[in-house]
Amino acid sequence: MAWGTFVQRLFGNKGSSAELAKDRLQVVVMYDRLGLSAGQLEALRKDIMETISRHVAIDSERVKIDFLPTPAEVTITAPVRRIRTRGEAQKQQTG
Amino acid sequence: MSGRAIVITSGKGGVGKTTATANLGLGLARHDRKVVLVDGDIGLRNLDIIMGLENRIVYHLVDVVRGRCQVRQALVKDKRFPHLALLPASQVDQKEAINPEQMRELVAQLKEDFDFVLIDCPAGIEQGFRNAVAGADEAIVITTPDVSPVRDADRVIGLLQNSMGDPQLIINRMAAEMVQRGDMLGQQDVLDILAVNLLGIVPEDDEVIVAGNRGAPVVLNDRSRSGQAYGRIVRRILGEDVPIPELNGYGGFLHRLGKLFSRR
Repeated sequence: MAWGTFVQRLFGNKGSSAELAKDRLQVVVMYDRLGLSAGQLEALRKDIMETISRHVAIDSERVKIDFLPTPAEVTITAPVRRIRTRGEAQKQQTG
Repeated sequence: MSGRAIVITSGKGGVGKTTATANLGLGLARHDRKVVLVDGDIGLRNLDIIMGLENRIVYHLVDVVRGRCQVRQALVKDKRFPHLALLPASQVDQKEAINPEQMRELVAQLKEDFDFVLIDCPAGIEQGFRNAVAGADEAIVITTPDVSPVRDADRVIGLLQNSMGDPQLIINRMAAEMVQRGDMLGQQDVLDILAVNLLGIVPEDDEVIVAGNRGAPVVLNDRSRSGQAYGRIVRRILGEDVPIPELNGYGGFLHRLGKLFSRR
């Protein structure tokens, strides 16, 4: 929750449906613009995770893919557990 | 003369396209511009009744396109402004009765005689939309601050950007009290999502219904809030720099205090 919302709620302004509407719209509009369904998005997420995991140990539970409108932007947040050495990565790929 | 052809569109039905077309047309006519309103909603004619001109129709758009009459014969002159005319839609034909190329020719012809050609687009993004958009140089997208009209507006904006560049946006039926309560998307929320230039905001107003009943659009009523809003939008279309007044509600003390902390 943003501080602004918190302050508004503190003063008796109950949960904002407008904020919910905006969040939902931002997601749905981004899917529309990309021409992606939720299923395709999940597939994209899996592919990206696999690719990153081949080189870096990431916390797969916490991988986040965000689509931001205007200017359109895809941000991938993948918390790194530890960076493997080149040797380790190669061993895993061949082994 | 070469006028400006502007299509008024929304994607979603029922958000106020026809009402806006009527009001913008009358508003421009009040500024002494020669204006023709084209009802692009073939099969569901409505602009005539909103304008109070439903009893004067002889020919319609499909008649013109099919060569059954001259454009001049099909134009219905407004009772209030002699330099404002309506080209009604057919009530019996289908959207497929005309094609985009025919519409382009028709609008080009109208632009020779009028300063403004306002095209009222049907809902949807199929043939009727493609026809209505075909001859236009500019577009105005109407939405209300609700989830589904905003989503559809985004789709339509995407389609328009491919063919004619950025449209301008009118947010219709904004209720300041609801925005203040946090129960309606505010102007900035809608703009954050749609990212186009805002042409104006029309407040929620019972007078719009009354005006519809009478066939006398609100822009003619200088005391109504929505009429005033349309008046300002018209001046912006004419190139005047008219600020968009803040709807009472957004910008209150708590909101500003909230903003101070939110660092957004």
